[in-house]
Amino acid sequence: MTPLPSAGRVIRAGRLLTILGLLGMALVYVLALQFTPVEARQGMAQKIFYVHAPAAWGALIAFILVGVASILYLWLHDPRLDLFAEASAEVGLAFSAVMLTTGPIWGKPVWGTWWTWDARLTLTLFLFLLFLGYLTLRAAVREPVERARFSAVLGIMALVLVPFIHLSVYLFRTLHPQPILLKPSRPSLPPEMLRTLLTSMGVYTLLYLGFVTLRYGIGLRRAVALREADDA
Amino acid sequence: MPELPQNAPYMVAAYVVTAVILVGYAVSLWVRSR
Repeated sequence: MTPLPSAGRVIRAGRLLTILGLLGMALVYVLALQFTPVEARQGMAQKIFYVHAPAAWGALIAFILVGVASILYLWLHDPRLDLFAEASAEVGLAFSAVMLTTGPIWGKPVWGTWWTWDARLTLTLFLFLLFLGYLTLRAAVREPVERARFSAVLGIMALVLVPFIHLSVYLFRTLHPQPILLKPSRPSLPPEMLRTLLTSMGVYTLLYLGFVTLRYGIGLRRAVALREADDA
Repeated sequence: MPELPQNAPYMVAAYVVTAVILVGYAVSLWVRSR
């Protein structure tokens, strides 16, 4: 049986990273509101971009890592990989919730509509619902090995959707703006705006690390308690 | 020069929603980790 690491240490590390991430988020707000110029055509609504794009980035990392951990779980059968996938899926949902709420709030003043069923938006909503289903599946199956195997398959299937979402702005006619950072050419932003965006992406990466470590620690503690109960 | 669009309330709403979701999730993790 695979030995599990100490949940207490993981939880303490997660709390520290989460606090640093939340402080970083406050810093991003100050940077975006006070030290970043207002875009001439979109006005203040353009500043939504500094929370929307990094939240999308956080969700992307989270869901890719669910898929990678799921592949590795089916190969190695290590329960820590399953616990990590569960943690990353939940954190990805939190970031997706930010992405799916801030997007329409930006869309209303800039596009004139809260929502449109174009490829990027629809596929992103599907991904959110898929991971909602992933966590529901985990809650419904009680046997740990069976739960890990079923959810790993779903995690891998969802991974296929991620690059498709990123490329959807090239593959389909869509209202959604094209990528600014994750593209072959140089970033298309003035330096002050790029600085704020990159800072925000760094902060959201830190926040992801904090959330996922803390959530992994919670899952680990539960798994250790269940194993001890089975042994008793 | 064209006038800037007056849409700051949308930005405020987005920043508030973001903070509520992420701080709320952090609190939920904190409570579950105790």
